Amino acid sequence: MSKRMPRASGYFRTDYRQDFALVQTTLQRLSLAVLILLLIGYPFFASPFHLDLACQVFLAAVGSLSLMLLTGYAGQISLGHAGLLAAGAFTVGILFKEVAAPFWVTLPAAALVGGILGVVFGLPSLRLRGLYLAVSTLALHFVVVYLGAEYETKRGFSTGILVDPPQIGGHSLTDGRAWYFVLLFAAGATLLLCLNLLRSRTGRAWGAIRSHERVAEALGISIAGYKLLAFVISSAITAVAGALFAYYRGFVSVEAFSLFLSISYVAMIIVGGMGSLLGALLGAVFVTLFPYVIEAALLALPGSRRYAGEVFAVNYASFGLIMILFLIFEPLGLVGIWNRVQNYFLLWPFKHRPLAGSGK
Amino acid sequence: MTAPLLQLNNIEVVYQRAITAVQGVTLKVDPQQIVALLGTNGAGKTTTLRAISGFLGLDDARVTEGTIAFKGQRIENRSPNENTSRGIILVPERDKVFPNLTVAENLLAPVSHGIRPAERKRREALVYQFFPRLGDLRSRVGGLLSGGERQMLALGSAIVCMPQLLLIDELSLGLAPVMVEGLIRRLLDIRRELGLTILIVEQSAPTALGIADYGYVMENGRVVLDGTAERLRDHKDVQEFYLGQAGEGRRSYREVKQYRRSRRWYG
Amino acid sequence: MQLIVNIFVLAAIYALISCGYVLIYRVSRVLNLAHGELMMLGAYLLMTTASLFSGNLLSAFAAALLLSLMVGVLVYVFLMRKLTGEMVLAAVLTTIALGILLRGLMVLIWSAQQQYPAQALRLSNPGIELFGGARISTFAAILVVTTAAIYAALFLFLRFGRWGMRMRAAGQNPLLAAQRGINLHAVYALAWSLSTLTGAIAGMLIALDSGLSSTMVIIGLKAFPAALVGGLDSLVGALAGSLIVAGAEVLLIHYVDPLLSDVVPFLVLIAMLVVRPWGLFGTREELDRV
Repeated sequence: MSKRMPRASGYFRTDYRQDFALVQTTLQRLSLAVLILLLIGYPFFASPFHLDLACQVFLAAVGSLSLMLLTGYAGQISLGHAGLLAAGAFTVGILFKEVAAPFWVTLPAAALVGGILGVVFGLPSLRLRGLYLAVSTLALHFVVVYLGAEYETKRGFSTGILVDPPQIGGHSLTDGRAWYFVLLFAAGATLLLCLNLLRSRTGRAWGAIRSHERVAEALGISIAGYKLLAFVISSAITAVAGALFAYYRGFVSVEAFSLFLSISYVAMIIVGGMGSLLGALLGAVFVTLFPYVIEAALLALPGSRRYAGEVFAVNYASFGLIMILFLIFEPLGLVGIWNRVQNYFLLWPFKHRPLAGSGK
Repeated sequence: MTAPLLQLNNIEVVYQRAITAVQGVTLKVDPQQIVALLGTNGAGKTTTLRAISGFLGLDDARVTEGTIAFKGQRIENRSPNENTSRGIILVPERDKVFPNLTVAENLLAPVSHGIRPAERKRREALVYQFFPRLGDLRSRVGGLLSGGERQMLALGSAIVCMPQLLLIDELSLGLAPVMVEGLIRRLLDIRRELGLTILIVEQSAPTALGIADYGYVMENGRVVLDGTAERLRDHKDVQEFYLGQAGEGRRSYREVKQYRRSRRWYG
Repeated sequence: MQLIVNIFVLAAIYALISCGYVLIYRVSRVLNLAHGELMMLGAYLLMTTASLFSGNLLSAFAAALLLSLMVGVLVYVFLMRKLTGEMVLAAVLTTIALGILLRGLMVLIWSAQQQYPAQALRLSNPGIELFGGARISTFAAILVVTTAAIYAALFLFLRFGRWGMRMRAAGQNPLLAAQRGINLHAVYALAWSLSTLTGAIAGMLIALDSGLSSTMVIIGLKAFPAALVGGLDSLVGALAGSLIVAGAEVLLIHYVDPLLSDVVPFLVLIAMLVVRPWGLFGTREELDRV
């Protein structure tokens, strides 16, 4: 995955630190500053509903970034993402109900549980690839969800576990705006973690494994080690996302962690564009907001009251349809579209980039 | 002067819109002729065969210039099914049999349009006549055959289609010389009896020149030399670089200028 | 004794569903995860034809079967055909998306309520007494017999039929098959239509026996471990896998914990993936081994 050329002409990198930096040209710095200002200012002129939407997007982003690390970069398919979210959420639920643990115990515990589960989910990847690996992650998802359901029924929480919001120095975290910043921080931290991981030896090893496993092995990269590492890191992050989800909603129940949720996350990275963190973010935004857009569109139609009861089914059907359309027509996702548009304007009047490797 | 069965005119084949594998290739195959395409790895021989048989699309390649005419009709960039129904049958280099079908089933599977069961039986019997060894192996599964038997089966399953033009990719690859000789002699018999036209691609020039009437030598995607088999056999460069018969004293590539050579050979 | 009967019935259900997975996988290496939804569609189609041809049982069934066959062809021609040549995983994800789309459409067209085709067709489902005091419902018995018949027919077709041989050839070496004149698109469309047909039959019989609801999709999903355990490209394997999974499920539910019912097939699947990923009777493919 080659680095995009900085957009400013006359920009030369003169030492390694410059080459390595995340933000390089003035234009990039400016854009980042504007973005940060917008993000910080948003909660001050957004309605509670829109605030909740943003929070959902941030939560989804944490999960989609971790899945992108695993599938988009390390090349290990996982259809069991919801199982890992459930693991994190249930860790919070169980610790809260059994020992009234505070959040600064449950969150690391969720990460730990996620990491351990990551090893379990990752073991098949040492022997299987592609379809069979996907199927094994699917099976493990069902097992995890079953364990959660088992806990619910055996402990009498058949309708779900209620969880109190986290307490910091006597203050409960219930304010929408406060949650916005907490989750924004979580998403931002995850993004930074991913960016740094990918710039490191680990990220390069994953890229090598994804491109050509045998060759990577011949070059001395420990395939088993890095594959498991990908699963462990990804699962730990996902479990933390699940834990945050539990606190945000105040409620944990198996029904929320269905196969459809796993597929939603897969849709996020496909729709967003595989192999790119920006894709994970775009995908998270798209998939999270999609049902609301559909619902709004439905209600705008004449005779909308008739359809009100069908919203769920329409959501389902249109989600399937959109996923199919992207898989067939735009496999590179939103990032692919964005790149094409960018290239068109950047390269005009030329039509094609020079071949990769034929000199910058 | 009969019209050629197959005529390639100045074709250019490009992979993924970026890599030119074959450039300016012109060749023809007359009816009932055996034509050989010689060259080392990467010369563009298999690409040319793929262009003729219509299987370029799999590798995202296209004939971007020139024409391929079969019996006077343009066939470049058509779908593979069209070409097979015209009778252009390819014996591929690898994966040339159905591994989990028996020998008999391998010969039954190919589809020839509009032939009756009696005709199908006749063709199957013909294959067993040409390759008696296969007759003993009728119920052996394709994946369990030895290399030579597999090649015989591959040729057999092509013959069952009664091809108008038989394309063979690397007949001798992985086979002992004795086996290859036997196959070549069998091919000549088949050509004589069925009047087949064959275009054979070969890395092993002795094999190809032993059977061909006419030959083309390819290098780097271009045809650099062509002529009848005798002329090629007597050609000094072909002798040196493809037949392994060094002349008096070793000559380096630089000294040989008998035919135009691409810059790749220098340095 | 009742346990044994239950195992056989469940195994028959899984086997009938599995042959749909096997047909498509064997021919095109695609795991059709929309099979459960297609099963359900078949049952819904029966409900519709039942009301269209009210009273005429045979026409209702025939029409529903014909429609299911056509659905299979349509799914291939308009959707899966666009993916030939792409990665298998993309095709599998597409089938997942198709399943979701179908589920939404089915709720929109027929509503999410539980339906009872047996009532709609004015058929009854009495229990039959078997030896040892075990009972089996009529439709369950019909299902077992149908499964056996369909498997026999499929074996004969694949082994001796002209198109059956082409299907096997295309599954083993698609490129060579194309080079020998076999029309790959036709073969794939045939596989999809047969798969949808058998799935629809399964869906209809299950619905007639115990009603039509979204649990059918779950049953469909539970059947693919049976196919995988036996070997995704082997019909014999599907039979064996179905017996094993059904046996494990019924016994574990009875002796250990009824909640296990939905997870047992996947536990068996995991065990098999650890030991022998290509299943009991499957062809050992280029699965990467470390």
